Amino acid sequence: MIGFLALAWRPAILPIDPPAKTSFPAELIASGQILAGAGYCEVCHTRQGGEKLAGGYALRSDFGTIYSTNITPEPETGIGRWSLEAFTRAMHEGVARDGSHLFPAFPYDHYTKISDEDVEALYAYLMTRPPVKATAPVNTLPFPLNIRTLQEGWKLLFFRSGRYRPDAAKSAEWNRGAYLAEGLSHCGGCHTPRNLLGAEKADHAYGGAVIEDWVAPALTDENPSPAPWTQGELFSYLRSGVSPLHGVSAGSMSPVIHTGLAAVPDADIRAEAIYFAELDHAEARTAATDAAIKKALATSALGTGQEYDPDARLYAAACVACHYNAGPNPLPARPELALNSALTLSEPTNFIHVVLEGIGTRDGGPGLVMPSYAALGDADIARLAAYLRRTRTDRSPWTDVETKVAALRRQAASAKPE
Amino acid sequence: MTNLDLNGRPVSFRSPDDTPLLWAIRDEIGLTGTKFGCGIGMCGACTVHVEGRATRSCITPLAAVAGARITTIEGLDPKGQHPLQSAWIELQVPQCGYCQSGQIMQAATLLQDYPDPTDRDIDAVMAGSLCRCMTYVRIRKAIKLAASKMRVGSAP
Amino acid sequence: MNRILHADDRDSGASLPSRRGFLIAMVGTGVTLGFARPGLGAIELPSGEAEATPAELFEPTIWYGIDREGFVTVNVIRAEMGQHVGTALARIVADELEADWQKVRIVHVDSDPKWGLMVTGGSWSVWQSFPILSQAGAAGRIALIEEGAKLLGVGSEACVARNGAVAAGGKSIGYGDIVVRGDLRRSYTEEQLKAMPIKPPDERRLIGRDTTAIDVPSKTNGEARYGLDARVDGMIYARPKVPPTRNDSRVVSIDDAAAKSVPGYIRTLALNDPSETVPGWVMVYADSFVAASRAADLVKVEWHVGESGKVSEEDLQRRAGELIADRNGGALVVDDPGLDAAFAAAKSTIERTYTTSTVMHFQLEPVNAVAFEKDGVFEIHTGNQWQSLILPVLAQALARNQDKIVLRSYMLGGGFGRRLNGDYAVPAALAAKLAGRPVKMICTRPDDMRFDSPRSPSVQLLRMAFGDGGNVTAMDHQAAAGWPTAVMAPSFLFKAGNGALYDPFSISGADHWYSVGAQRVRALRNDLADRTFRPGWLRSVAPGWTAWAVESFMDEASHAAGADPVAFRLRLLDAAGRNAGSAPNAVGGARRQAAVLARAAQKAGWGGALPKDVGLGVATSFGQERDMPTWVACVARVAVDRGSGRVTVEKLTLVVDAGTIVHPDGAEAQVEGAALWGLSMALHEGSEFVGGQPKDTNLDSYTPLRMGDVPPVEIEFLPSTEMPVGLGEPATTVVAPAIANAIFAASGARIRHLPIRPGAVLRALSNSA
Ligand code: FES
Ligand code: FES
Repeated sequence: MIGFLALAWRPAILPIDPPAKTSFPAELIASGQILAGAGYCEVCHTRQGGEKLAGGYALRSDFGTIYSTNITPEPETGIGRWSLEAFTRAMHEGVARDGSHLFPAFPYDHYTKISDEDVEALYAYLMTRPPVKATAPVNTLPFPLNIRTLQEGWKLLFFRSGRYRPDAAKSAEWNRGAYLAEGLSHCGGCHTPRNLLGAEKADHAYGGAVIEDWVAPALTDENPSPAPWTQGELFSYLRSGVSPLHGVSAGSMSPVIHTGLAAVPDADIRAEAIYFAELDHAEARTAATDAAIKKALATSALGTGQEYDPDARLYAAACVACHYNAGPNPLPARPELALNSALTLSEPTNFIHVVLEGIGTRDGGPGLVMPSYAALGDADIARLAAYLRRTRTDRSPWTDVETKVAALRRQAASAKPE
Repeated sequence: MTNLDLNGRPVSFRSPDDTPLLWAIRDEIGLTGTKFGCGIGMCGACTVHVEGRATRSCITPLAAVAGARITTIEGLDPKGQHPLQSAWIELQVPQCGYCQSGQIMQAATLLQDYPDPTDRDIDAVMAGSLCRCMTYVRIRKAIKLAASKMRVGSAP
Repeated sequence: MNRILHADDRDSGASLPSRRGFLIAMVGTGVTLGFARPGLGAIELPSGEAEATPAELFEPTIWYGIDREGFVTVNVIRAEMGQHVGTALARIVADELEADWQKVRIVHVDSDPKWGLMVTGGSWSVWQSFPILSQAGAAGRIALIEEGAKLLGVGSEACVARNGAVAAGGKSIGYGDIVVRGDLRRSYTEEQLKAMPIKPPDERRLIGRDTTAIDVPSKTNGEARYGLDARVDGMIYARPKVPPTRNDSRVVSIDDAAAKSVPGYIRTLALNDPSETVPGWVMVYADSFVAASRAADLVKVEWHVGESGKVSEEDLQRRAGELIADRNGGALVVDDPGLDAAFAAAKSTIERTYTTSTVMHFQLEPVNAVAFEKDGVFEIHTGNQWQSLILPVLAQALARNQDKIVLRSYMLGGGFGRRLNGDYAVPAALAAKLAGRPVKMICTRPDDMRFDSPRSPSVQLLRMAFGDGGNVTAMDHQAAAGWPTAVMAPSFLFKAGNGALYDPFSISGADHWYSVGAQRVRALRNDLADRTFRPGWLRSVAPGWTAWAVESFMDEASHAAGADPVAFRLRLLDAAGRNAGSAPNAVGGARRQAAVLARAAQKAGWGGALPKDVGLGVATSFGQERDMPTWVACVARVAVDRGSGRVTVEKLTLVVDAGTIVHPDGAEAQVEGAALWGLSMALHEGSEFVGGQPKDTNLDSYTPLRMGDVPPVEIEFLPSTEMPVGLGEPATTVVAPAIANAIFAASGARIRHLPIRPGAVLRALSNSA
């Protein structure tokens, strides 16, 4: 036991005097900025309405709420006294400057794949941001999970340190995409299901998971969307937030695209798209796409003629004005629900979220806003869900939808910022 | 404080950012052409354009449109002579008129996506716009009239 | 440019006929509501002080004025709710006056005793105003010609008035100049007015021709101002907590603790209403409507709820059935001798019961009002159809004289009869009084629905006796429903032959124009309905259910008699006896109804071959009142899906004889709207009472007609120069029975309840199989 504890606490790395901004070359800072975008540092390290990178963002997990830390170069509450060595150790090993273990909410299991040069660029970028004095709230993890030393055991079980190793059989672009996706962009952090101890299931990578009460859909061919995620669809989605055959970004994916990836050049976005299109075996499935689109579009006007089904009338009055498509292809600004994974996923979670919360200018795609239909009752939203599932997909009906609407509504109310 | 562009002018709303856009426009700014009918997104009387697209303002919180370009019926055309408005007058569409701002704003989006709409397109896209005076027959005609004028107008 | 002047334009005085303008004033309103008040007609020439006309003495009604620029401003006492009434009325004046239409404006006036009875409903506006406004216009024309002739230095015989000017030979002088330079003082007696030389129809220049309605442009650019758009300085907002029942809820306690967290919330107060219009109401005040609305959701009120809190739709229907079963009650509105004998001697008889559900108004603008006190006068800014009805109620509620209350008119975001009942002005006024400052009360849609005065559910029993050769020898019609007039305007009740009072507006339509031998019509007041809620007048009022019963029954009777439904009706529309019609409104009588019926049948291809499960159904009615019949017939073509019971309406064909058509395009719009209302109520609307309240409170479950539900609608007006009658409602009455009759023709399924739901069609199909 003593040996374990001894092992579980790493040595502190000596604090330094905060380095002068001028000590970092401009190109290094610039490339760090792009990398920071690809890693969405700002998304998780900024609380709603708070100063950038000053932490305090609440990450709700099955285990409790963890608040992100201040990563501005402020010496007392931020990382101003962290040397490059300390920063690199945190990124690659998940250990703070003082030697304590970081919770894997900080995805060092992915960041360990980042090259030393890229870590240095990130360091340069962060250390040249405006310092903000801010202390994150105390985490609400219950005992014993709140004992940081226990993290060492977790690491022993689940964490493998090591940089990304290119696959020589693949193209340079694919490798670039894989490097970003596996490392800095840590896509698996949301899209890979986790085991009971909160570690990503290595044997089920990108199989889809529930994160912060949203479903992060599978990025493999387990993804139930009628149309495959091709390179083109992925690029459009990651670049603008809209994919004509799948819909728009919402929930925690919105800031990933609009705050994070916005800084990343097209080439890197394309590389990621190439990587995931292969994972999805999109190529092999495109043959069926046309038929899927045709089938979907055939349902687009359902409910709008002389209609007596009360559910169809509810849908027609509330939704069709925007979601209607005619012609051979759905319009980007008219997300075709019969193609939308919100309807084909095994749970109605994402559907309910979007209906209740809508899509604001900060979500979705450029110029696309969807109102919040929270003014409809739980039963009405459940009717909508059931009607669309019934008429727009060939999946089995969702169960207990009304209860699920009520639960998500309560959650949204309690999560409202004060 | 929510900033956005309203009918081509920058405005800052004092109303809390969970205020529905409808009431902010009507009561804070005083533009009353946008109407309130159901409050649950099912009548279309409150339809405005957000970034050029018809959107039910009664259930769209200010926060969701921060930074966006909003157009109300008052701003659709500087002289009130958008082809839809002219067609509406030519065919004497409005009865009580209460729904018509919303109808026109919705129809504008329809024509943007489907410049030569079929009855089916009209039925679908206008399904959310209730007219209690039942001016539907004329709305249909006027949309087609405006569409034909716009197509002529935009021909090269 | 034609335009509508708003209340505040008038406050500035800018657009009123100038004090030295020429005003034509009349005393008495002539015919009102069909309850004629004798009027002493006179054209008054003002000494310049229109406002100073001794109102108490003459009750003068000022119809229009001409200013020094020659602009004619027509004062409209009717509410604008989509019928473009101002345009129609102004056209009547302007035509006789030979005014320049480009210089005609309208103004919707405030409530004031000088206007006489202010009501817009029953499709009466044009019919009531036509003679009066024509005479007023003619009087003005003659006065202008006389003065114009003097100024031109010619004899008046040499002059013609045209286009806002008087001309003789090569010379002419504009009306404005005549106003400035002439001496227009004139006075006419009612007899003289009646004898005014009204132009023959073929000289009409505006009536009967289309024009752009004056109110239309403002309804396409956001300028039109409705009650919801009213605002005054310093106003706060209020949203009511509507109690669980209409009549018998009392506030026990109010808890606003949770509401205090809403920014902008002010406070919550219970209203004390001496007029008993809104018992148990609680008002939630805030500095914005959003805050008031959110706070109201959080305010908890406990009410003591009376008996009506338990009443269901079924209870209401059961009560109606009991009333009908009791042979003794009710008013015998028509009571021919020999009815019982005819039934006793009949070769055969048929008897059927028809029912209708509660129907909500759902005018698109939820009710609202701004109220405040200014200089000792209580002002209420709102859209309203019957100012004269609500003023005394407001006086009682506010405990002040009517002359210290004024209603300012705004456009109505839909009327349909909802705003004949101005009850929503009362809580707004009380809220303002209580707060001591201007208050804008807005009902959310659910508030509005729960506060609605819905169309009462109804039950009707009809019987017919046949003699030799299938001849109809007697018909008995009994109808039970809530009576709006008994609740809201009891002085308008009629007295039946048997001495009982009854609501004419809850039975009209049953007194039809068919010659059926001995006829009896018995009207029954559903007292449970009247206690449970406040029944309302709803577009087409009683004929919404009476015509449903009569025309479904005529169809069943024709089949029972082995006759074609059109031929059967035509035989009964023989224009004999009391169905011969009378001047001025019902010239021709049933002959004109037969004409619209025959034309509609012909137009729709009656008797032609049809695909399987497709059928034609016919219905005809005279609109609403026997004394101002609008003849209308409808043929519906429907397809019935036997698997699901779905009914697809493939086409509606309507033929209308409404006498002279003042504004053809507007008339067509009215008939279109009315027919589609009929369709909506036939297939898509209908609510029910649950626990003393209407069950449907918003569009998620209340499903009025939408764009996709609209079939092709063909409308034809039979040409006529008779008295113009109403158009806003008649077409509503024929659509539902035409559809039900078509369903029968297509499938053999007989439907006797409105609205018609696919499930009911399925059940009827299995019954008929
Ligand atoms: S008021 Fe917004 S849709 Fe009805
Ligand atoms: S014109 Fe009255 S609601 Fe449409």
